[in-house]
Amino acid sequence: MKLQLEKFGKTLISRELGSEAFKAFQPTLRDLPKNEDLEIDFSGVLTLSPSWADEFLSPLLNQLDDKLILLPSDNLSVIATLRILQEVNKRSFRTQRRTTFGLFF
Amino acid sequence: MKEELLTITQASEILGVSLDTLRRWDKSGKLVAIKKDGGTHRYYREKDLEIFASDLMKFASEWIQDGVEFPGTFYCSTSSIFNARLTKMQNALMQKPGFEKLYSLIVLVAGEIGDNSFAHNLGKWPDTAGIFFGYDLAKGIIVLADRGLGILETLRQVRPELPSHVAAVEVAFTEFISGRAPEKRGNGLKLVREVIIEQPISLFFTSGDAEVRMKGADKIFRVTRGQRIVRGCLAKIEF
Repeated sequence: MKLQLEKFGKTLISRELGSEAFKAFQPTLRDLPKNEDLEIDFSGVLTLSPSWADEFLSPLLNQLDDKLILLPSDNLSVIATLRILQEVNKRSFRTQRRTTFGLFF
Repeated sequence: MKEELLTITQASEILGVSLDTLRRWDKSGKLVAIKKDGGTHRYYREKDLEIFASDLMKFASEWIQDGVEFPGTFYCSTSSIFNARLTKMQNALMQKPGFEKLYSLIVLVAGEIGDNSFAHNLGKWPDTAGIFFGYDLAKGIIVLADRGLGILETLRQVRPELPSHVAAVEVAFTEFISGRAPEKRGNGLKLVREVIIEQPISLFFTSGDAEVRMKGADKIFRVTRGQRIVRGCLAKIEF
């Protein structure tokens, strides 16, 4: 399943809204077949902040582990945010090319 | 050609303050009105209003220091209003030549600092809730301020042993800690620090008597003790 993150907005800043987005996504996530990956597509997102992403991507990573796949992005805020989230969570996100976002930077 | 003057009502709409505030500012000399031929009606030149509204740091510091009223156009009473105004700023900034990619990091920095003010003071604002958020993209400046608890009081809720504003601001910018522990939070200002060091963006940040100045070619992160004690937080981002 592919999730267009921009469905939650193009400017993803506040922690409060990140938490709301995570809750709103739970029913959809329950429909994800057991063997299917969840791909996160950042295209269309203009700014992603670590606060918003920490409320959305960090818990998703805990829920899905290796089934969570991040598609590449050249947006500077996306790259910087994913780098700090990996640092704070002390684990790497799986990306489409099986590299970590830290290596892109 | 004679310059067209704005009425006091038009001026109040542009600045977002009441008529009474404008009358008070005129009497005190803060924003002097024009009176035609010795009449009593107050008028304003548009250019004068622009100049008056451009001193963002003055408005922000006088507000957090002494509660001095400022043009309402800079006030975000809630997080939703801040988000809406930030998005508006983002859309203008990404059109600015040279900022086609960098805009997202500037919005990230401003967004994190502003969102922190709301998240850490939720239900605890000592008096006025909300933040000052002003920007001038032509000059490359963004100013954010709040009259909240400040970094030291916020972090002492989880680190009661913190000895000073300087120590608290140091922790806020370098450690993964939050005033809302056990919630796992507190990565925002760390990323702000990293982004400022790597990118052509400057930051002045103050809370209590602690000051962070990251400017120039060899930017390093250092917290120093300033001359005055600031209520809440005040930040100036330049680019």
